[in-house]
Amino acid sequence: MRNSLKIYKPFTLTGIQEFMIYKANFLFFIGGEILFCFITFFVWKAVFNSSSSDSFMGFTMTNMVVYLFMTYLSSILTSSDAAYAIGEEIVSGSIAMRLIKPVNYDVSFLFQEIGNKIIITSIMLIPVIFGIEVYKFIVSGEIQFQWIHFLTYFLSIMLGYIISFYFNICFGFLAFYLKNLWGANMLKESIIRFLSGAIIPIAFLPQTMGNILNLMPFASLTYTPVMIYMGTYNISETIFFLGLQVFWIIVFFGLSKLIWSAAIKKLCVQGG
Amino acid sequence: MRRALRLYKVFVSQSLKSLVEYKVDFLTGAISFLINQTLNIAFLYIIFSQIPNLIGWEFEQIVFIYGFSLIPKGLDHLLANNLWKVGYYIVDSGDFDKYLTRPVNTLFHVMFESFEVDALGELIVGIALLVSTVGSLGVKFTVLDLILFIVIIPFAASIYTSIKIIFASVAFKTKRSGHIIHVFYMVNDFAKYPTTIYNNLIRTIITYVIPFAFTGFYPASYFLTGENPLFNLGGTILIASVLMTLAIFIWHKMLRTYESAGS
Repeated sequence: MRNSLKIYKPFTLTGIQEFMIYKANFLFFIGGEILFCFITFFVWKAVFNSSSSDSFMGFTMTNMVVYLFMTYLSSILTSSDAAYAIGEEIVSGSIAMRLIKPVNYDVSFLFQEIGNKIIITSIMLIPVIFGIEVYKFIVSGEIQFQWIHFLTYFLSIMLGYIISFYFNICFGFLAFYLKNLWGANMLKESIIRFLSGAIIPIAFLPQTMGNILNLMPFASLTYTPVMIYMGTYNISETIFFLGLQVFWIIVFFGLSKLIWSAAIKKLCVQGG
Repeated sequence: MRRALRLYKVFVSQSLKSLVEYKVDFLTGAISFLINQTLNIAFLYIIFSQIPNLIGWEFEQIVFIYGFSLIPKGLDHLLANNLWKVGYYIVDSGDFDKYLTRPVNTLFHVMFESFEVDALGELIVGIALLVSTVGSLGVKFTVLDLILFIVIIPFAASIYTSIKIIFASVAFKTKRSGHIIHVFYMVNDFAKYPTTIYNNLIRTIITYVIPFAFTGFYPASYFLTGENPLFNLGGTILIASVLMTLAIFIWHKMLRTYESAGS
């Protein structure tokens, strides 16, 4: 275990360095995302103004604001570029370089991206949570922050990230069939955005549809952690949804191994 | 002009050829736009199932504005998508040299070189939303309105193009500006809703600074209500013309600072 950590440490350091070089890109990326957040905020504000009661399907405006910004934070923390990275390496053939090294191809991708995530988490997590708690304090007049929710949220967000990573690895294998993953990637993003409750909370959907979505892997990415943070789940529900996250990790991990072992026989790198 | 048209025909036919090569890519691209828009409409539908109207706007009216905003967006996407590539990698990789050696205006060449059929996803959804809501809105849509609509769309689309030109030309100095274009381009999402839902700051920004409100809500609200043609339509034409002139000026000014990145 110690030994394997040593092998993968350089990948994490590369990930950190990569982030440092492209930090401007990241800043513009979160800038663009936060615009989306504000548009949704104003739409909801108008909805609450037009609604006859203070709460909309069980959410108050305060809940909604917390939900929006927590979802924003969580989707950045759990997002994974693995599909893009692996797709590019397959198309360009540079995956050959990874294959000749005595490392697991997926674990090396994972550790590289974790380097990235360490920086993003340390930059964003505390400020966003702090901002949300200050907002809640101003609205309600009391400090509502609870360590247990925060820590469970953190655990859940890490599980969510690993699901996202292995899901994206599976998705990246599409590059064997498509020359350019751009369109497929966009399709994936918009579907995930909807199914994970980023556009509209799953609780607002018709009951049976909501129940199904809750069990699907996409809800495990951001919706489960956010609900845990907001304290919507009781203890047994929390344990159930964390278990579900672990279940989806196992499924996508297994699936990625399965596709890989089939695909590796097909892989044909041109040139060199 | 004749020569430009002839060149454009060549560019388009070249793009269509590469399209045939990547058929599946094209289909996934167009379908993803289609699904994206459908999910956004589903969002509106779920909201409106709970409230009678959104600060005075009916569901059909909001959908009409939404659909209207997609058409200029799609038109710009169809014709001038290559500007993104200038910002992301054409300058950075040194490939921009190619455009400088040709006896054609650089902006014309780079802008119209590719023809993005993916944009049909946006255009089709936009038109479908307009057609499906216009009947139930009870608005009289006359021949004059149709003419105004056809005239106003290219102006609205050129607001998108101008903003892309301005921020793409930043790449002449910095080598890469794709992410800057992205942030400013994203502001267009504000144009899909009535500006009355925003606070004053945002409303001022999307009207006068990054004037995307003129690509969606303002012209669309003229066709819905018939009010304020001078501001809603005249404003669109004026702002679009000013912005395009500015964009062309900035492009050529920034181009003078261009140094090749190639080796």
